Amino acid sequence: MQKTILIVDDEPDVRDSVKIILETKGYKVETAVDGDDCLKKLNEIKPDLILLDIMMPGTPVDEVIKKIKGIKIAFMSVVRISEARKRGLCKQENIVDFLQKPFNVSDLVDRVGLILNE
Amino acid sequence: MQKEFNKKNLFFSKINRKLTLLFVIVGFVAPALAVYYFYTVAVSSFTEYIFVEQISLFNIIAIIIIILISINAGIIGFFVSQSISKPIKQLYNATLELEKGNYDFRVDIKTNDEIEELAHAFNLTSEALAKMEQERIEIDNAKTEFLSITSHELRSPMTPMKAQLQMLQEGYFGKLSKKQKESLSVIIRNAERLDNIIADFLEISRIEAARLKFDFRETDIKQLVKDTIAFMQGFAKEKNVTLVDKVKNLPLINADPDRISQVLRNLINNAIKFSDENNKIEVSAELKNDFILFGVKDYGRGISPDNQVRVFEPFYQVESSTRRKHGGTGLGLTICRGIVESQKGKIWVESQPGRGCKFNFTVPLTPVIDIEPIKILFSQKDVIERKIHEEFKAVLGPLGEVEFNELKNKNALSKDDLIKYIDSLNGLYILVPEKSEDFKNKIREIFGEEKEILAEKKNDMLYDNIEEVMLK
Repeated sequence: MQKTILIVDDEPDVRDSVKIILETKGYKVETAVDGDDCLKKLNEIKPDLILLDIMMPGTPVDEVIKKIKGIKIAFMSVVRISEARKRGLCKQENIVDFLQKPFNVSDLVDRVGLILNE
Repeated sequence: MQKEFNKKNLFFSKINRKLTLLFVIVGFVAPALAVYYFYTVAVSSFTEYIFVEQISLFNIIAIIIIILISINAGIIGFFVSQSISKPIKQLYNATLELEKGNYDFRVDIKTNDEIEELAHAFNLTSEALAKMEQERIEIDNAKTEFLSITSHELRSPMTPMKAQLQMLQEGYFGKLSKKQKESLSVIIRNAERLDNIIADFLEISRIEAARLKFDFRETDIKQLVKDTIAFMQGFAKEKNVTLVDKVKNLPLINADPDRISQVLRNLINNAIKFSDENNKIEVSAELKNDFILFGVKDYGRGISPDNQVRVFEPFYQVESSTRRKHGGTGLGLTICRGIVESQKGKIWVESQPGRGCKFNFTVPLTPVIDIEPIKILFSQKDVIERKIHEEFKAVLGPLGEVEFNELKNKNALSKDDLIKYIDSLNGLYILVPEKSEDFKNKIREIFGEEKEILAEKKNDMLYDNIEEVMLK
């Protein structure tokens, strides 16, 4: 069955790049421009994985993730994982990975594959 | 330095003593003169009526008057001078406070004279200094903040850029010709390099703002070094350089393995750059009293004494051509220094040109949890020179000032030059051997060497010599 991934990033270039990469690898990809848009999209679709940027305008990410239950989330960010931890972002149990930006394409593909195939 | 408190100083400061003595002398001379004139006038006018008894009575009265007046004058002098010296003492203490950096200190002197004006001027000055200090802190914070924000902002566009480039390279948009591939790999390599520089900037802004994260856990140093060497083996192979593990058995310590590994990787990377083909690099770690001493030793071309201090400065390259030849951001050693010093460790280099160099750093057994900001963007050279200057003045007095300037003019302020200079003082019997040894250790300490290792230095040197003889 084709898996669905929701990309949430305020930068269109990042969204588009990741979308092309993951679509090429056979995933169904949806995009959202920020946290609020992400929550709105979740009313319509139920993705298998959300790739979520930590720093976005609008509702802070820590409030957004509290409203997401039962869907795996992988963070993407230019800040380090240690800083994200310090902000208490990585505690929730459906947060499964942290992709350090700028990431390598092959790394992104491998990690998404690993998350969705387990 | 503040002089020790004692009673003599409390009651009779130098001004006190001088003025009181002056009053006593005046109090003695003035009535003496007065009595003398009175006496001569009296004797010349009433010669026939004065009896011998009266003369001696006159003498006694005159002496008593003189003594009483001079005592009174002395007491008055004491209080008068006290009123002058007390506010001066207050001002003196206030300047000491300023020296310590306590710019909020104010003097409260109400003497209604020039000293009060002086005190007022002093208060204005310290106010101005406090303002400048405040501005300095603000500028410093702004600089760190700017560096941090800029680095983040620079890093954001790197994400889609790198992704798209790699997509091109990996054939997401169709096959590429050989020329296209070559061109693309140049772009990717330089994008990578740019990203590394930005990442290093970020790291420096973290060090300067004390935001560097350490994750302390029980660490097996021996294993850590082994893993790091294994990781670096790939880079070493390019030059056919052998990495030698010389780590002795060590207890488990509480430390951040990632940070130690980061420093080691940087130093090994550096050592590989400066090694010639087929050289070896030795990595060591041993337990000293309350820290672990790491060492990365290469047998490359070495670093001249002049450059030894400056290698930890940002973007400092031993030769301007090396950066282009070896790549690298020019910030690696600066970051190493930041990481090591954040943990209150030391990092320094020993080298003899042509015979390779050894980078040392220490990691304390008890981790430092409260990280303090470290100024790593400053040139260390100025700081070191200032410290040497102070040390010269402390050990040699006024002579030190002259000698320091002379050495500075001769550009002979490197560690080796100074050690040689101190030895020459010892040879001229200007310093006793014990004192010159202390002086040398102070100098080495200023250059960043760990204190406790200095004690063992002698034995090491002996050992080095034996090794040399054996090699021959």
